[in-house]
Amino acid sequence: MSEAETKNGYVVFGGRAYPREAVVFVSLVILLLIFLGLTAFVARSYHKKVHVLADNWFAQGEAESQDGRSANALTDYRNALAFTPGNPKFQFHLAQALAATGRAEEARSYLMNLLSESPGSGEVNLELARVAASQKHTLEAVRFYQSAIYGEWTKNPINTRWNVRRELCEFLLDHNAATQAEPEVIALADNTPSDDVPQLKTAAALLLRAQLWTRALDEFHTVLESSRHDPDALAGAGAAAFNLAQYPRALGYFDRLSRDRREDPNVSAMADTARRILASDPFLIGISLKEKALRTSRALTEAQSRVTQCSQEKGQAVTASPASTSLQQLFATSRQMEPDWTVRNLERHPERVVSVMDLAFQMEDAAAQSCGQPQGQDRALWLLGRNRGGAQ
Amino acid sequence: MSETTAPTGATAPAQPPVLPRSWASFRTFWSAWSGRVSLREDQFFLLLAVLIGVFSGLAVVCFRVAIDSTQLGLLGSSLSPSILRVLLAPTLGGLLVGFLMLRVFPRAQGSGVNRTKAAVYIWNGYIPFQTVIGKFVTCVLAIGSGQSLGPEDPSLQMGAGIASAIGRRLNLSQEKIRLIAPVGAAAGLAAAFNAPISAVLFVIEEVIGTWSGGVLGAIVLAAVSSVVTMRSFLGADALFRVPESRVARPAELLAYVVLGVAGGVASLFLLKWIEYARPRLEKLPPRTRYFLPAIAGLLIGIIAIWLPQVMGAGYAIIDQALHAQFTWKLLIVLAIFKILATGFSFLSGTPGGLFAPTLFIGAMLGGAVGAFEQHFFPSLGGTVGTFALVGMGTLFAGFLRTPITSVFMVVELSGNYTAILPVMFSTMIAYLISRKYHKAPLFDMLARQDGIMLPSIEEQREQVALVVENAMRVDAAIILSPDDRVADVLIRAGAKPESPLLLRGRFGDWRWVDREEVKRLGSESSENPAVADANPKGPLPTLFPDQSLEEALQAVGDWPLLPVVNRADLSKLEGVITLSDVLRSFRSKSTV
Repeated sequence: MSEAETKNGYVVFGGRAYPREAVVFVSLVILLLIFLGLTAFVARSYHKKVHVLADNWFAQGEAESQDGRSANALTDYRNALAFTPGNPKFQFHLAQALAATGRAEEARSYLMNLLSESPGSGEVNLELARVAASQKHTLEAVRFYQSAIYGEWTKNPINTRWNVRRELCEFLLDHNAATQAEPEVIALADNTPSDDVPQLKTAAALLLRAQLWTRALDEFHTVLESSRHDPDALAGAGAAAFNLAQYPRALGYFDRLSRDRREDPNVSAMADTARRILASDPFLIGISLKEKALRTSRALTEAQSRVTQCSQEKGQAVTASPASTSLQQLFATSRQMEPDWTVRNLERHPERVVSVMDLAFQMEDAAAQSCGQPQGQDRALWLLGRNRGGAQ
Repeated sequence: MSETTAPTGATAPAQPPVLPRSWASFRTFWSAWSGRVSLREDQFFLLLAVLIGVFSGLAVVCFRVAIDSTQLGLLGSSLSPSILRVLLAPTLGGLLVGFLMLRVFPRAQGSGVNRTKAAVYIWNGYIPFQTVIGKFVTCVLAIGSGQSLGPEDPSLQMGAGIASAIGRRLNLSQEKIRLIAPVGAAAGLAAAFNAPISAVLFVIEEVIGTWSGGVLGAIVLAAVSSVVTMRSFLGADALFRVPESRVARPAELLAYVVLGVAGGVASLFLLKWIEYARPRLEKLPPRTRYFLPAIAGLLIGIIAIWLPQVMGAGYAIIDQALHAQFTWKLLIVLAIFKILATGFSFLSGTPGGLFAPTLFIGAMLGGAVGAFEQHFFPSLGGTVGTFALVGMGTLFAGFLRTPITSVFMVVELSGNYTAILPVMFSTMIAYLISRKYHKAPLFDMLARQDGIMLPSIEEQREQVALVVENAMRVDAAIILSPDDRVADVLIRAGAKPESPLLLRGRFGDWRWVDREEVKRLGSESSENPAVADANPKGPLPTLFPDQSLEEALQAVGDWPLLPVVNRADLSKLEGVITLSDVLRSFRSKSTV
């Protein structure tokens, strides 16, 4: 306003006079518009800069995270988030990094915040479940796992839900929550496509862990239909059959395994026990009376020996009189009946086999209760007693 | 505007310069605005409030961007800057701030709230624009380099300065110029906080002190327009992302009692420290004041080597505390060291506000109480975020002594009413503790230390106003009816020689009857006339028992007495009051 001149409340400009207040007001509006433009430019430049910084920190965090340096990633994510505090993606990654570095409470806080914004998010629920699981908050973990299963998944929802359920099953089984695990494992098996061998095997393995033997055997059987020599399926099917007391079938599966796999301690123990059971079972159909009597007599001797050994472990004399413990009483009974239960008598009176074997089973059971799970032949006898008739 | 000279007025030039027709009509319209028609000026004032709001909003956007950019430049983009940066940035920044403050922008020193109050009560609304620029530059440097101060108080002062400058340019009346500074202050604070309600309440509670209808509308408009402007540039997100808050059980209120006490004690500590140290530092040789901000910066830098969270305003850290990302032990440590850092910065005279540090300390204290409760009493089920949120309001109420603003601020920041009960509970405890053990609120104390006697809003609030009821005399008058006979009146008046005579009219009006006039009428007339003929004076203005004595003083005028009547029944006399009764009452109060 170089030409401006103030005179009695007027501003003369370009040969014309204008009221001073009007000029000031118009000037203010013009100034406001200039200021507005300037602020817009400044703010836009600042936002751009801030977003670039945030993205850079985030990218660095991702790289650190992939290299397994969670603590460094954590700092990077925090820096990224400082520039865009409301960014859910950054928050989620930060929460994951926090969880990975054992800062479960902080991770939970971020995740709860994200959950309040998107309660149906499968990802957030799953991460919360993992955090709760790491804190051993079983009920909360189960709740979040279930919310994750039924939550929103943008990528491959069916497969992701299956995997989340598998994780839930594993969590429950790891925490000895078999009752809670059962329906989840069954649901997992029900939702497993019959043509997906790896998923079938996983489901069957979980069924096995949940001690749902029949269903596990079925699943492994399905796997074996499409992949006859799958060692995991054979071992699993063998284990399921073994636990169902289907010892010949179990041995059938174990025998189809490669030598290496057969030498697996679990497999070989089960196979050994199955063989012992089949070799010592007096109720097996098709064996002669003599063989039946021999097996019965051997079983009694075996049980007496086990009881004697167990009593010694407990510092008690098995032959103490009067017999005060169950082991002593059972041993005394067996000794009393010994003259009637010779091989010859048993061969003559095969109806006595049941009584003898019952006593032998009782003795093995009592010894197992007092001295722990039996091994070798005793284990075979004990299992035979528990699943009497199973060998048939 | 009252000074504006109309072209047709006596002082107008005989022949105005060439005047376009449209401008001539604008000029006439403008003249009508400029003081002659007060309603027009009021309306214009509202329009101006919007303009001020937009200007303040823009200024705050630039201010915040400048602070953040400076922080990025000096401290880097990491939340944990390198030791070299942590030590050098606040120290060198402090050195520059000290120089600028003493050599270039001396008016930028001091509390923005008090400067605005001083503008209202002492300088007729005048705030030099240089103050705005000075505040902007020095605070950007100070806060951006890591001094433990916040941008709200400077924003408030910048808003007030912008408003004052606009008001002066537009030749507003003196009354409006005086009121325009708080309008700008509200706009600046609202934009800085992104909380218009709290800003309006704060300005009313701390700067103006009254709910004046004349300025309330303008304050609200300015606050809203500034927030809208700020949000359109920086986004509509609240200052903090407050997680879902809940108060689990009534028993949890006990924990909020603890928080209230902790907040009260922390407020007291900070107040007492400032009260003790500030005058002593002011007495240091003037030359040392160049270096005080640098020394404060260095001390803060040393703290920040281990606790970088204490640097700057600390909004991001408050956000983390609200999301329970610190253990209760770390929260306590952060609260203690933030008190120290804030004390260093403020006492060194570095320009910047105390609002953000107050919120920071409150959030840390609250979070610590919440985390402690969650750790040791998990059955109570409270959330740390709620405690941190309530803690902010608690310290705000205890330290700044604005309890209503504190409660509403928490509600406004959190966006829900869940925390309203604990926040009311806690803030009141902290406020009462702080008031009990520290008589002068922070801003009054600072003003008095600076040798300025600004009106204390808290003291005004506490003042018990004298009312008519305190001064009136009950049963002191003889009430007459217009039909009463003079002879009867004389008998009644004789029984109470000191009591004045009041005539109650048929329509509830009251008149005073002179005894001498009644006696004269009785002696002159043989017919025993009615008292209405005794030339009663009036109708008298009436007062109500709850009216203030100031109102009574204005009403009493030359009347010998005034009737005090019942609000529900104007013909029912509660008492009478005279000028001497009013004066006696004032006198007795002043001697108490």
